[in-house]
Formats: sequence, structure tokens, C-alpha cells
Amino acid sequence: MEKLSYEAARQALAEVIEELESGQATLEQSMALWAKGEELAAICQEWLDGATKVLKGEADA
Amino acid sequence: MLENSADKPLPVRVISEAIGDYIDRLGAVWIEGELSEIKVRPGSSMVYMRLRDTSADMSLSIMCHQSIYKSAGELAENARVIINAKASWYSKNGSLSMNFKEIRQVGVGELLARLEALKNSLAAEGLFASNRKKALPFLPRVVGVICGRNSDAEKDVVENAKRRWPSVQFAIREVAVQGAAAVVEVSQALRELDADPEVDVIIITRGGGSFEDLLPFSDESLVRLASECTTPIVSAIGHEKDSPLLDLVADFRASTPTDAAKRVVPDVNEELAKITQQRERARRTITHKIEQELSWLGQIRSRPVLRDPLSMIRSRQDDLDSLLSHLTALSPQGVLDRGYAVVLTGDGTLVTQANQVNAGSQLAIRVAKGTIAATVNGVAGGE
Repeated sequence: MEKLSYEAARQALAEVIEELESGQATLEQSMALWAKGEELAAICQEWLDGATKVLKGEADA
Repeated sequence: MLENSADKPLPVRVISEAIGDYIDRLGAVWIEGELSEIKVRPGSSMVYMRLRDTSADMSLSIMCHQSIYKSAGELAENARVIINAKASWYSKNGSLSMNFKEIRQVGVGELLARLEALKNSLAAEGLFASNRKKALPFLPRVVGVICGRNSDAEKDVVENAKRRWPSVQFAIREVAVQGAAAVVEVSQALRELDADPEVDVIIITRGGGSFEDLLPFSDESLVRLASECTTPIVSAIGHEKDSPLLDLVADFRASTPTDAAKRVVPDVNEELAKITQQRERARRTITHKIEQELSWLGQIRSRPVLRDPLSMIRSRQDDLDSLLSHLTALSPQGVLDRGYAVVLTGDGTLVTQANQVNAGSQLAIRVAKGTIAATVNGVAGGE
């Protein structure tokens, strides 16, 4: 999968959470949603950590 | 034609007289120009002068009787005059001079009126129109400067521009900025600088002066040349109140040489401060945005569905356990455990009436643990 943009990952993550919390999904679907949510949260975190690192690196330079 | 050849050359006197004849045919003419090199020699009845063209580098030697010179009142160097002159040829030394019997000074009033008329006609042509004005460059590679020799105007431009932008480059043309030579020299310098591709803006400047001193900067040929230049021109001529026509055709009219310097280069410190300010703003904004997003993400990750994924299995497990206990409660196993048995016929039908079977029928008897095969001995009751 091509790396998602922060906004796309954030949007997808919000949707996954909403679906999980609604309790409508089957167990199988819930497991898949949870795995997807973890993956999306990691992508978001990676973007933010990267941005922070760039800013900090620039400040040190 | 005078007959002549290398074998039959003509004597000087013949040629000199011939030239005199040609010149005589011009007759008396009215000429306008600027006086210079006025020589009033004691003991001589004649006054010798030079009459210069106001736009081109051309002049004539002129002379008149002292009485005529005096009749015109105070005639200073650079005075604008109209004379009625006749060309005279001095065969003795082969020199030409215009001898005049009448001279009139062109007064300031007359010059102003002409200037006004010229201004109106150039304005009507659209030479001063705002849509012809070119924008000054933000940071010129080379600044062209046309100014007087060792002038304060030059110093003001150079010092002030360097103070604002220390690495500013100049192409300076020091020229005559008043008198008959001014139009020619300023025009020449302007042509040169306009043709130089490195020069991105041209300042034409001189300090204050008399009305006559500033006249070259209202010369029609110079004004037209300036309007045709492709390089933006900044004029800073004289004081605020003086308004030579060059000011009107220039792309920007500066009030002083210092003002001109301010217009052509940005202030390095101001620019650096602006950039620093903008960088700080950008950093603040992006930092804030990241913090906001991190907090959102933290909140999302602490939601039960992500923080405790086991909960979704646990709830289902609880559900399943409860179903299982119901199932156990409903199962016949409990009844069998208490010692009851279930009787089935050979084909698996539940036996609830004795007459369902006959002697000799095969039965299956299900007890709490296992099944017993039996044969019917006899039947009683039922129905």
C-alpha cells in the first residue's frame, strides 16, 4: 500500500473508530477494523514524529 | 564649376573667394541658441561669442559690435538668445563667423510659456500617461546613475543606496548637467546605460539650480529619449518645486537624490527582519498544528476499542458463556443423570405409548451414559 497522507490516514482512522464503537460489525469485521485502526494510528504517529523531528533538527542546526 | 586638376591647381585666393560667394547666398537668418565664451576685449570694438545649440553638440562663432551687445542688456553666459545674423567669411585666414546686427534675449517668461506648450503637446501624445510607467525592480543587479562630476547628488545616491543594500552595484556616468553640453551628454549616457543589459534601473540626478540650469532636463529630445528607454528611470532633479519635463516622463519621480536611492534598493535589515518574522510565524503555526494533531491522536488511541481490543472478545465470550449455561439447563442429559432413561424404537422414534411396539421389537434404551439394546418381551396397557 502506498503511504497515505496524514489527512487521509487521520480521516480513515476516525471512520474505523466510529464503526468499531457502533458495535454493528461482526467479530471478523471488528478484528479487521481493529487491525486497520492500529495501522492507521501508526501512520499518523509516524507523520507527526517525522514533522517534529524536522522542526527540532532545524532548530539545532 | 571651377576648372582644376593636379596639373592645373587653383590658387588659394580663388577658392577662398568661391567659398565666400557660397556663404553669402545664405543671407541674413534668425537663429536661436545659448551664448557662451563671451569675450569683451578692451580696445576692440567687436564682441566675440559662441552660440551653442540647446540639444546637439554644435556651435557657431558669432560676433557683433559692442553697441549691439550692450543694447540687449545684461547678457550672461548660457543666456538664451535669438540673433539676426549673416555669415561672414574672412578670406584672410579662412575663418567663418556669424555677424549679427540684432540680438534678443529669450526671457524666462517666454521659456516658461514654451515649456508649458511642449508639456501640453507631449501630454497629448500620451508620453506622461501612467500606463507607460514601468515598475522599478525590487533588487536591481546594476543601478545606472547619471549625474554631475563629483556632485553631492552622486554622493547622496551612492551613500544612501549602499547604506540600505551594501552590495549594490553602480554604473555611474558623470556628465555635464547644465549648459549647452548637458542635453548631449545626458542623452549619450542614457543611451549607453539603457543598452546595458545588466543595468536594471537608471537614476538621473542633479542638485538644485536656476531655472536656466534645469532647462536641459526639459529638452524635447531628451524627454522623448527617456520615454523610449526600456530600463525604468528614476528622476531626481533639483528641488521639489522644480518640475522639469523629465520628471513627468520618468517612471518614478524622486524628491531628492536620497529619496531616489531609497526607491531603487530595498533596506537589507528591513528585509532580513521581515524574513525572520515570517519564519518564526511559520514555525509557530506548524508547531501548534503538530501539537494539536498529537493530542487528537493520543485521544483516539486511548479510546477503549483501540486501547483494550480484548474487550471486544471478552464481551462476546461472556455472551457465549451465558448461552452455554442456558443450553446446559435445557439439555435432557440432566434428566438422564437423575436416573431416567429414554426409549427409542429401532428406527429412532421416541417410545411414549406401549402399543408403539410389539413383542420381539428391537429397542434402544438411552441412559445417562451410553445406550442399551433390548428386545420387547410383552406389551401391556397403552392407549
